Amino acid sequence: MKPLDTPSPAAVARVHALSERRLSAEEARAALAVPLGEAEEQETRSLIRWFRRRYPTPAARLAYARRAYRRWASARPITRGSDSDAR
Amino acid sequence: MRVEGSPFEEAAFFRAVAASGARALLIGRRALVALGIPVLTVDYDFWLHIDDIARFNTAIEPMGLYPTHAPEEARARGRYVAENDERVDVLVARSVPTVDGIHVAFDELWSRRRGLEVAAGVVLAVPALPDLILTKRFGGRPKDFEDIRLLEALRREEGQ
Repeated sequence: MKPLDTPSPAAVARVHALSERRLSAEEARAALAVPLGEAEEQETRSLIRWFRRRYPTPAARLAYARRAYRRWASARPITRGSDSDAR
Repeated sequence: MRVEGSPFEEAAFFRAVAASGARALLIGRRALVALGIPVLTVDYDFWLHIDDIARFNTAIEPMGLYPTHAPEEARARGRYVAENDERVDVLVARSVPTVDGIHVAFDELWSRRRGLEVAAGVVLAVPALPDLILTKRFGGRPKDFEDIRLLEALRREEGQ
């Protein structure tokens, strides 16, 4: 299997700028006006139920989040300074 | 910037914050995770009462978390960071406007807070769900609105 190409610094910077962009008030109102679709709602609530069943306490969920971040950080090719997508 | 390589004990960190008596609300994605939404997150985000900065800093400094600004400067700027290997973003303001112009007051959120046991015997304050959703409108980034949709689904799941 061909390994993933490391994105260029310019591409990372572009994604970062897009993800950190502050919406205008009008864009924010438009975003808030769009509800989850039925399928997405069911999928999201199912995921929440699974997560709460699997990790029944806030402490267990937070511990899971730390492990998940460590896994994610160790697998990715770019540096932490540009990982705003996880924030 | 990573200043030190010390191991970070999350439970000890939360215990120190809770024991400090500082009025600190856990917000951001770490709060989403604690409530039951599995999202990826790096930092800790707190909204802190503007009079409790020194108390909060004193509590977390033994963990090597040093503030980027002194309390007076932090009050003037409205936010600061405490970090070593971990990063704690701290918002300090009596009220913060959302991107669509709603002013959200700390004291009101504090009065409606809920407690979460985030480690054995350690209870931290998080905003009530509708208030946590409002705090997600501070930043106004696209991913904040995705988080709002998740929080709205959680709210319906909880029958609120």
